[in-house]
Amino acid sequence: METKLSDLRPGNTATVTKVTGSGAVKRRIADMGITPGARIEMIRNAPLGDPIEFKVRGYLLTLRRSEAEDVMVSTEVQM
Amino acid sequence: MTVRVALIGNPNVGKSVIFNNLVPGARQHVGNWPGKTVEKKTGKYRYNGEEYELVDLPGCYSLTARAVDELVSRTYILEEKPDVVVNIVDASNVERNLYLTLLLMELEANIVVALNQMDVAKSKGYTIRTEKLASRLGIPVVETIATQKVGMEMLKKAIENAAKSPKPAFLTYPSDIEDLIEKLVTILSVDASLVTHHPARWLAIKLIERDKEVLEMIQGTALDSKIEEVFA
Amino acid sequence: MKRVKAVLGDDPEIAFAEKRYNMIGEILEECLTKTETGMTFSDKLDKVLLNKYLGIPIFLILVWALFQFSIEASGVFMAIIETALVTVGEFFGTLLAGNEMAASLVQDGIFGGFAFILPFLAPIFLMFLGIAWLEDSGYFARAAFVMDKLLRKLGVHGKTFIPMMLGFGCNIPAIMACRSIEGEKDRMISILSNPYISCGARLPVYVLFAAAFFPGFEGSVIFSMYILGLAVAIFTAWLLRKTFFKGEPEPFIMELPIYRVPTLRASVLHMWERGVVFLKKAGTWLFLGAIILWFMSAFGPAGYLGIDPDVSVSYTGILGGLIQPIFAPLGFDWRLGAALIFAFLAKEIAVESLGIIFAIEGDIAIGGALAGVFSPATAAAFMIFILLYIPCVAAVGTIKSETNSWKWTLFSVVYSIIIAYVIAAIAFALLSAIGLGVIGGA
Ligand SMILES: Nc1nc2c(ncn2[C@@H]2O[C@H](COP(=O)(O)OP(=O)(O)OP(=O)(O)O)[C@@H](O)[C@H]2O)c(=O)[nH]1
Ligand SMILES: [Mg+2]
Repeated sequence: METKLSDLRPGNTATVTKVTGSGAVKRRIADMGITPGARIEMIRNAPLGDPIEFKVRGYLLTLRRSEAEDVMVSTEVQM
Repeated sequence: MTVRVALIGNPNVGKSVIFNNLVPGARQHVGNWPGKTVEKKTGKYRYNGEEYELVDLPGCYSLTARAVDELVSRTYILEEKPDVVVNIVDASNVERNLYLTLLLMELEANIVVALNQMDVAKSKGYTIRTEKLASRLGIPVVETIATQKVGMEMLKKAIENAAKSPKPAFLTYPSDIEDLIEKLVTILSVDASLVTHHPARWLAIKLIERDKEVLEMIQGTALDSKIEEVFA
Repeated sequence: MKRVKAVLGDDPEIAFAEKRYNMIGEILEECLTKTETGMTFSDKLDKVLLNKYLGIPIFLILVWALFQFSIEASGVFMAIIETALVTVGEFFGTLLAGNEMAASLVQDGIFGGFAFILPFLAPIFLMFLGIAWLEDSGYFARAAFVMDKLLRKLGVHGKTFIPMMLGFGCNIPAIMACRSIEGEKDRMISILSNPYISCGARLPVYVLFAAAFFPGFEGSVIFSMYILGLAVAIFTAWLLRKTFFKGEPEPFIMELPIYRVPTLRASVLHMWERGVVFLKKAGTWLFLGAIILWFMSAFGPAGYLGIDPDVSVSYTGILGGLIQPIFAPLGFDWRLGAALIFAFLAKEIAVESLGIIFAIEGDIAIGGALAGVFSPATAAAFMIFILLYIPCVAAVGTIKSETNSWKWTLFSVVYSIIIAYVIAAIAFALLSAIGLGVIGGA
């Protein structure tokens, strides 16, 4: 099922399908390893609900919800 | 003659610890958060009668700078062209760290990889076949644990070797991309001033990526329209 | 002929990044084997420290513990240093008993001022130690992660919090650290809001005044100074965002490093590294400063003032008197005026200069002497003013070099004085209203 990265819940794992968004930010997100094909796991929300912590390429990366909305992922299971 | 050596790598991988280990009396600030070193710092050490000038650079994830400190590293690598580029790679986070290694290879730099934080990698359950990695990349790779000063002698030796017999890194992409690169290189090679300053293959790759600064370099030159054909 | 689009699709930039990661994947396939180790120490710690309900309380407790640690633990060290100095002081006293002026220089200037401030270095060093410990642990990036949402509501980037935490040690490296903040506007906001974070050099002032005027409540009084500094920093950042640097904060893309157990050795080394810079300053400025301050306070246009004189007619008194009228509504006299002027060199000099002035006047127990001249409301106003007005010369220099603009540096100086005055006045009025405006009335 195709969703936004920001819609994953803690423990969900997905595969990145598309990175959209504006120039420099999109580039940085891709440089950090969020590229099509990457496996990504949602770890947790920050205590106040935003930003979000992910595990990708073996390390921990945090993104705001608004950045995560620009990444499309596909999940195997129904959420 | 002094050998110019740059330490480059992702933020928080241990560049400054290594700098402090190699340069006698150096006291670069170290801490466990990304972005401590914000300006380049130079120090000297001697090894086998030779003098080395080592530069500790701010950490960066790629060579597309987003902050002032990253710009320092980008500019240094692109413009100053050090004799040896020591790429510090966090062994416990190799997958993302090697991304910068590939970018440095595209620049055809004379690279030595220091695979640091081997202790952390081990505790994470990672086993890295260092020799295999070196042969796959075509770059010397040295294992280090900077905080315990492990591998420093090997690193100095590797830097010495790289300085004595420089070997620009070379990265081959899958054939479809290589075709594009080749085409662009042929076009670019016409402009001698352009390709003496930066490697032609690197310029080609940056053009494919639509890198703003390289596009600006090309803009207005006679090559402009020919290049656009490859994209059209 | 094959085109870029045919090979890499619509977004060649992202596709190229993907190709690189694919190559890395292929290489690591051959070179890396991962054995499952289960949850790491770092993961377990995050489960608690970044927990939905515990995250914020733990953050607050950690910050609070940092101050408690540096203030409480320093008591022992302060006492040791004080005892040692008294012994040395007595020795010199008997040695110089014959020469009145030399005895005054040594006893009032060196011991009343320079040596007086030395014990106060203990809390500063412990603060450095505490920050080094947090810095090495890996919590800094987590603090930015935890605080981002709150700060962002005010238009401030979460990463700004890292320089803020560093500022509790010293504002200079903190302002430099703003270079890793992405986006020019965000960086400027981080630089210009940092000076209000209470650095270690302000701590001696709080320790001295809190003990003299608010006995029994020292901890809370000092802690509230830190909170006030943080609040003003965040308010200033908000104001700048609303006015000169309009727009949204930059995106938040940050790596969380793994936790490391900070070794005592590394943290002490850290403390030392930052502390040495401080000691160098102390060795020169504070020592030289003590001599100059003694001279300015023991001499006036009329020459040497003699034993236990009226220091208000000394050069220091005249200097302090110049700006005193502005502060009269807050109950400041020429002594506090002079302390404010000298403290521009380094904030801890405020304590040194008060020490010297009172010593020359014949008061050795400065705590009691202070309480005999000022009301608690005035003391609070003075602490607030010290906290907020112009950071030290060196920090102003750093603001200049980092903003690369005289205009913003001047703005920072003028704005800081205004905001310091306004908040000190409000505090003075409030405390006076509850009866703390009388001398000797805590
Ligand atoms: N366990 C372990 N820790 C290390 C090793 N090398 C460095 N560290 C720790 O990693 C952290 C970062 O080290 P630095 O040298 O400051 O990293 P840097 O690459 O200079 O970082 P930036 O200046 O922020 O880019 C520190 O806490 C070091 O103690 C290592 O080999 N093993
Ligand atoms: Mg560093």
